[in-house]
Amino acid sequence: MSEFDSNSSAMDTKSKNGLMAWIDARLPVTKTIEKHMTKYYAPKNFNVWYVFGIIATVVLVNQLLTGIWLTMNYVPSADGAFASVEYIMRDVDFGWVLRYMHSTGASAFFAVVYLHMFRALMYGSYRKPRELIWIFGMTIFLALMAEGFMGYVLPWGNMSYWGANVIVSLFGAIPFIGESLMTWIQGDFLISGATLNRFFALHVVALPLVLVFLVFLHLLALHEVGSNNPDGIEIKEKKDDKGIPLDGIPFHPYYTVHDTVAVVVFLFVFCVIMFFMPEMGGYFLEYANFTEANNLATPEHIAPVWYFTPFYSMLRAVTYPLFGIDAKFWGLVVMAAAIAILFVLPWLDKSPVKSIRYKGWYSRIALLLFVVSFIILGVLGVWAPTEGRAKLAQLCTVLYFAYFIAMPWYTRKEATKLPPERVTGRFITIPQLILSLVIIGAMVFLPLKAVAAEAGVELEHVTLDLEDKESLQSGAQTFINYCMGCHSAGYSRYNRVAADLGIPEELMEEYMLFNEDTAIGDLMVSSMSKELGNNAFGVAPPDLTLVARARGTDWLYGYLTGFYADESRPFGVNNRVFPNVAMPNILEGLQGVQHCEDAGHCEHLVHVDGTGTLSEEEFEDVIYNLVNFLYYLGEPSRLDRHRIGGYVLLFLSFLWVFAWLLNREYWKDVGH
Amino acid sequence: MSDGTAHAVNKKRRRFLIGSTTLVGAAGAAGAAVPFVGSWNPSARALAAGAPITIDISRLSPGQLLGPMPEWRGKPVYIFRREEEALENLRTRTDHLADPESEEAGQQPEYCQNEFRSIRPEIMVMVGLCTHLGCAPLMAPEVQPQDYDPDWTGGFFCPCHGSKFDLAGRVYSGVPAPDNLVVPPHFYESDNVVVVGLDGENS
Repeated sequence: MSEFDSNSSAMDTKSKNGLMAWIDARLPVTKTIEKHMTKYYAPKNFNVWYVFGIIATVVLVNQLLTGIWLTMNYVPSADGAFASVEYIMRDVDFGWVLRYMHSTGASAFFAVVYLHMFRALMYGSYRKPRELIWIFGMTIFLALMAEGFMGYVLPWGNMSYWGANVIVSLFGAIPFIGESLMTWIQGDFLISGATLNRFFALHVVALPLVLVFLVFLHLLALHEVGSNNPDGIEIKEKKDDKGIPLDGIPFHPYYTVHDTVAVVVFLFVFCVIMFFMPEMGGYFLEYANFTEANNLATPEHIAPVWYFTPFYSMLRAVTYPLFGIDAKFWGLVVMAAAIAILFVLPWLDKSPVKSIRYKGWYSRIALLLFVVSFIILGVLGVWAPTEGRAKLAQLCTVLYFAYFIAMPWYTRKEATKLPPERVTGRFITIPQLILSLVIIGAMVFLPLKAVAAEAGVELEHVTLDLEDKESLQSGAQTFINYCMGCHSAGYSRYNRVAADLGIPEELMEEYMLFNEDTAIGDLMVSSMSKELGNNAFGVAPPDLTLVARARGTDWLYGYLTGFYADESRPFGVNNRVFPNVAMPNILEGLQGVQHCEDAGHCEHLVHVDGTGTLSEEEFEDVIYNLVNFLYYLGEPSRLDRHRIGGYVLLFLSFLWVFAWLLNREYWKDVGH
Repeated sequence: MSDGTAHAVNKKRRRFLIGSTTLVGAAGAAGAAVPFVGSWNPSARALAAGAPITIDISRLSPGQLLGPMPEWRGKPVYIFRREEEALENLRTRTDHLADPESEEAGQQPEYCQNEFRSIRPEIMVMVGLCTHLGCAPLMAPEVQPQDYDPDWTGGFFCPCHGSKFDLAGRVYSGVPAPDNLVVPPHFYESDNVVVVGLDGENS
């Protein structure tokens, strides 16, 4: 103990002299630091599951800071929101960094909070005397869900819009008042600018205040009763003659240096995602959200962001009307109950022990089934519904609730082990851990595999190369010559394209700016008006700035090479990838005519000899370059992102070495 | 942990590790601050809006500022013609000026640091914002007594705090404004076209 005593006495002497004494007499600085850091005794046997609280705090700070910075350029209006996000991504210096920090942070927040909650389930951290900590925590989770939902609406993409529509429509399911409640929430008869503005106010001002206050209460309650630990025993029951728990160590320095290592590791993972896969395959940033909100067209496949999908699945799983009220309402009830039941968990667990280490097999299997069904529900929520999937979701919903409802029974029935007097170290062996993960993996994977299988048009994969400036320049020229007659790239500026592609501004002005009034710094807006487009094609040609992010480059390549003659269409062509598209084959002069061999599928298109000015290979080059350019256009900072990301990861590895050495040095003090 | 074996704490090692980890961490914090600080710079939109402007001066009429008022980076640009008499005044009547030789660098590009503060003596190009607190001075080109100056030889008068400037934008002494009016970088693309915001061939 001697080290700790000298530490704290050093603190005492410091507090007695000069400035610190003056402040301490007026503000309890030293007292607070002691209560919450240097004399807060945490169990010495925390394992890796105990780092997610501090990591959640780090993410919260990240969200607050980047959020404040994003509001500096975000425009909370139906007309301006979508464009302002692209403005942040392109025109604001480092805007893309701030935006990706925030969007990745949102997903990270939920990932971390779910792991943090799972820890509590495993070790019984919700049990007496920690019921309030748990309840504050669950309230944080609830506030976080509201925060996440409203934040997802703000970019005003089409998925934002329809996601908001689905969630708000839930309230419409409430009998009698539903319809008018919905209108009240929306402030309109549909999700509109009015809805966006109130969500903005709540997301940016109200809910963050609530969250920060709840986190404060969560921590205050925790520090009052003290932390639980993997053994689920109370360290305060065994104290030394100074009243310090025998198994406790001061939070500072031991857990501050310990958590620093964990935070650096977390930041590493965070930065890998943020710099190298910020869309996370469409799960963190959904592809359909790169199209602006459109109240007349639902995205083909609508799914909430991944962190809501388990609950969304439960909502969809309810398909039976009951008591004369339709299933829609009961879906809402089930979803709400799935969250509400978590609040009463402390009173459902009747086991004589807290930790899963000493609980019996019933509890272990129940927890396993709970986790597996939660993950399966999450995956199902991302997929489009089929009959098999609906059945699986119903089964998993039942299992989810069974974990809670049967808990009073199975926790009393099972044989438990006697927890040790003093805390212990690692419990589960490495082979046991691997076996557990394999079991969970198999239990998640196998049922899902049975209901998987989705089919679509097969697309050839195109490997693009943003370093190939020549290809990009050629693509830019094709884009400006052929596409921009009708389409805009209205979030991109000519001079940015010139700079990024290595085109001298004079050349850009001479060959690519057709309008006298257009300046090199202007947005790349087509001269065709929206009305004219509507009249000519029955639909306004969409803006193409983000088309590569919304559709994917393989799709674009397949689409642009996929036109074939079809006399039944207004322009005499149809498309293999985008059936019944309104656009004519603008490149037909180059490509020539293609015919569809097998009517219906059109897997193979046959070129008609002698048509088109380019050979097939030459034409494929033109399209490759065009798609490459569109890929660039979707996210002009992509190469910067990779480059900066590399440096950041390198730095974090370096920092990790120091943090690890520091941690090892301090933990020499702690015996096991 | 009291049951752990006693060991001596290597204080020097700890101090070194704390110091070095803090240092590396602080470097990281500084790096993380870069996007936050950097995002306050003018955006591409602001830069595009503040891009050099091309002004046709063929429609200049004597004794008047070029209208409609050209804007460069959101600031009014005063362009006007000075007749021989006015130039003579600028050359001779300098004793009431604070900086007659335009010695204060930064108030004009080097190529305008001359007696008329212009590239072409007869054409004056300057930013129409008072160097005191940024009001737009009023033009009073005639040589005639004014309320604010009985010996007025033509120039600009700032209505906010009464600063006075001559027709080359040079500030009078004894007024609140500290410096001559700013001459922006500019060059003549042709006889009748001036580009403001770039030094052009003058650089």
